[in-house]
Amino acid sequence: MAFREYKVGARLFGIALGGSMMITLYMPSLDIVQVSSTEMGLRKGLMYGRVGGFSVEDPFLHGDNKPLTVVLRNDPKTGAPIDETYAYVYDAGVPFTSSIRHPRIMGKGVEDLSLDKGKIGQANQAQGAVFVVTEGRWNGEPIHYIENATATHGWTPDMVLKAVSDKDTQHVGSGKIMFVREGCWWCHTLLPEQTQDWQSFGAPPRLGDFNSESPTAFGSDRKAPDLLHVGSRNSSREWMMMHFFNPRLVQPHSIMPRYDYLWGEKDASGNVINYNQWRADYSDFASGKRIYPPEVPEPASKSDARYLIDFVLSLK
Amino acid sequence: MFKYLFAKTEDIPRGSSAVYFGISSIVWFVIGTGLGSFNAAKLAFPDFVTGSELFSFGHMRQVHVMAVIFGWISMAFAMAMMYITPALGNTKLWSEKLGVWNCFVWNAGLSIALTCLWSGMSSGREYSDFPWFIDLIILFGVIVPLGINVWMTVIKRRTQGIYTTNWFFASAVFMLFIVLFVGNLPEYFQLTGLTEAYLTWWFAHNVLGLWITPVAAAIAYYTVPKITGNPLYSHRIGHLHFWSVVVFYSTPAAHHLMSSPLPEWLKSFASVEGVLILVPAIAFVSNLLLTMTGKWRFFVDNVEIKFTITGVLMAIPLNMQGGFQQTRAINWYIHGTGWIVAHAHLALLGFSTFLEAAAVYYGLQTIMRRKLYSLALANFHFWFLLIGFTIYWISMTIAGLIQGAGKIYEVPYIDVVIAEHPYMIARWVGGTMVFTGNLVWLYNMWMTAREGTVIPAGRLPHEIAYER
Amino acid sequence: MAWKFDNPLFSLSDEEQNDKARKLWEAEGLGGITEDNNRLPRPVVWLLGLTIISAFLMTFPLWGQRPQAAIYAEYVAAMDSPRVQAAQAAGGDQAAMAEIVRIVREGQSKYEALQVRHPLSMNELRLVKDQIIELQNSRVDLEEYTIVGYKVLLANFEGNWKADGTRERKQPWWDKGYTIDIFYVTYFCLAVMIAVKRLPNYRWQPVHHGH
Repeated sequence: MAFREYKVGARLFGIALGGSMMITLYMPSLDIVQVSSTEMGLRKGLMYGRVGGFSVEDPFLHGDNKPLTVVLRNDPKTGAPIDETYAYVYDAGVPFTSSIRHPRIMGKGVEDLSLDKGKIGQANQAQGAVFVVTEGRWNGEPIHYIENATATHGWTPDMVLKAVSDKDTQHVGSGKIMFVREGCWWCHTLLPEQTQDWQSFGAPPRLGDFNSESPTAFGSDRKAPDLLHVGSRNSSREWMMMHFFNPRLVQPHSIMPRYDYLWGEKDASGNVINYNQWRADYSDFASGKRIYPPEVPEPASKSDARYLIDFVLSLK
Repeated sequence: MFKYLFAKTEDIPRGSSAVYFGISSIVWFVIGTGLGSFNAAKLAFPDFVTGSELFSFGHMRQVHVMAVIFGWISMAFAMAMMYITPALGNTKLWSEKLGVWNCFVWNAGLSIALTCLWSGMSSGREYSDFPWFIDLIILFGVIVPLGINVWMTVIKRRTQGIYTTNWFFASAVFMLFIVLFVGNLPEYFQLTGLTEAYLTWWFAHNVLGLWITPVAAAIAYYTVPKITGNPLYSHRIGHLHFWSVVVFYSTPAAHHLMSSPLPEWLKSFASVEGVLILVPAIAFVSNLLLTMTGKWRFFVDNVEIKFTITGVLMAIPLNMQGGFQQTRAINWYIHGTGWIVAHAHLALLGFSTFLEAAAVYYGLQTIMRRKLYSLALANFHFWFLLIGFTIYWISMTIAGLIQGAGKIYEVPYIDVVIAEHPYMIARWVGGTMVFTGNLVWLYNMWMTAREGTVIPAGRLPHEIAYER
Repeated sequence: MAWKFDNPLFSLSDEEQNDKARKLWEAEGLGGITEDNNRLPRPVVWLLGLTIISAFLMTFPLWGQRPQAAIYAEYVAAMDSPRVQAAQAAGGDQAAMAEIVRIVREGQSKYEALQVRHPLSMNELRLVKDQIIELQNSRVDLEEYTIVGYKVLLANFEGNWKADGTRERKQPWWDKGYTIDIFYVTYFCLAVMIAVKRLPNYRWQPVHHGH
């Protein structure tokens, strides 16, 4: 049977949808690619590694294959004291963050300096590398760029990790994975709003604060305080520990779930954590039979809880 | 179902895939709303179930959303497409076997996908939470077969023109393919930063705007004329609706990120376009309500029309909210609050669900040739859905206004949490009512399949009197 | 239905074509559903016009911003005037602040509405005073700075491009987004009008095949 072919309609449809995608996808991308990464953008990218969510290198979101963030007070090679420096250690095989793999996403200037002076082109993923963020000048303006410390200072990942204590090692990249996996961002946004709530939650981010971060996990449905600058408001590891184990310990009205399961089986000193006992004690405390709540165990240095606390405290 | 997967096409009864899709969608609706009710309980009573990551809010929230969107809503759409597209083309479904396979792969794929999501394998992007390999399974294992079936049925139709509903069906499956593909580019290609954030919301906006809204509306374009016997009021308004969906609904994605540092011009553009989504809404609502002229008794008598018109009426507050809440003048107050949660439920649980429920009610009766088992239970379902939803919507809207006030007056957040608590309990009550209503629906449909009055050939379900 | 280039919006089909269309449409059974082809009811057309206008009007108001540094520049200027110092001596901070507001009101400020919306105390003003003066000395646009507690910070709006290649840090009242919108809406209206006019004549009502 002959039927109308809807030629005009089909073409109009193509034009309409194509035009819409042209305006909403192509045109903004022209603006967004011009953005130069800020210092915060560079640091976040280096801290979080390649992906903050599901990825081939970490399919079950255990926080594997992520870079470590360390605080250096001495040059790991010579031992000479240096200014407190954050270094981002990518062990052999840990996938590099996007700004190392595709330097152009850092934007003009930052890209040039990172390649010329920072030598990030020489970084080799199979051997691992250590990166730092350095201040430089470009066209007379001060900007920050990434420096491949393995090439410029000869710091290898092993050397750096040997030089720092557990206290100065932060599992921020793995912690971001926990943040995504545990759905923290369903309630805690990472986006103080542009027009409001700077007062409580700090200044909103700028365009260049995320180059190299994925996912950005802004969140949309805020049921709890914004966390973009939580590390500046509250830097107490002790408080975070209690709050994650059972939020009602530090904030009786909190509706946050308990994240005690992130502690795993053993605490920092290798003792098995007796959750049933703890819960029973806590119930006693909540019903007034105990004066003090039970002690919260210290998370082991390779536990999910430790990762998450490191991440949250890194949000400055 | 399994016996038809490898049967000869001729041996598969016509409409099987629609029946399987219909029953699956109801089951997913029960699962999805059950999860929703459970999640709401956790927000009201944080120590409700603790100690296991599988029952923590952060693991279950996205499972609820995805079960409802891809299980209930999209499967109900597929069900509608499987029986409405051929009916309007005066033909049979292009491939019943492909339809049955589609339903099987969809159910299996969604079960795997939700299991992954539940265990925490998430991409960390709202509405596109599924890891990329699951996105690819959905894209090529679920959407492409569905699209092929719909398109081939439309192409092989035995009518001159294409009726409004089928324009929407055919274009929506195509647009869904584009949206799923483009929207997940950040995951395939590791895009980062604002590009990622923007594409996340481009996806989230368009999956609602170019898939859920138009297909739900298209269903109403079928059910209302079919059941009332009135022809569609105007083909012209249908055109206006169709083109304005393509043009205006596909553009305002940036209005979800009004408080982020995206270029201001993009927000200005998106904001104007965002108000213009009222154009398709006005066209849709006026067309449908004018079609009802002289047949308003069906709104009372007939359960499918009751569902459909309630859904159509809900499109009015939905689009008034949706159009205006995203402008700079209002967005600063309610962005990121419970108001938005209420709005999202008005869209999915109010507007769209009511339209789809009508299609599933009507379609299952038509294809199975069985009159609905119990009108009383159907009315029970309707009222539980409506009242439960209303409680939910009102409580979350109030909670959102409280949060908004707390935000701009910079009240310590814990005070906002305390103030919201009663509304969180109301939300849980409302959600549980919806869940209860759906359980009843599942029972009613199951009994319809087994014991409903047989509809004689040549008659339509609504022409038969109820025996109970 | 041939295209009429000289008159695209009017009378696109002649009688013969209408007749053909009628036969065509009558011949098809759409499962009991046939479209009537009424024209858009006039109230709906008005409603659509209203929507398009209000879409622009609603997007303009730039409410809900944090206070800009510019709205307090006049307060800062008035701070050291003898009148304020007298008030300070007589009635303390509160009286001094009231006096500042009075002085600024006398001077017909263009920020009056914003000043009313964002009152501040004398102590708060003291905290931002030096920062505002410093910014004034560096000749930047104070409207691009917002007050956050005791800090004056560059707002993070990514507005229009300025001549020097940087971004304006404020919400624009007009930018290329609106311009694109105007073209976009115009094309849409034209395309839909043409499409709708090309449909068979509205006076012709298809019969509803006895369903």
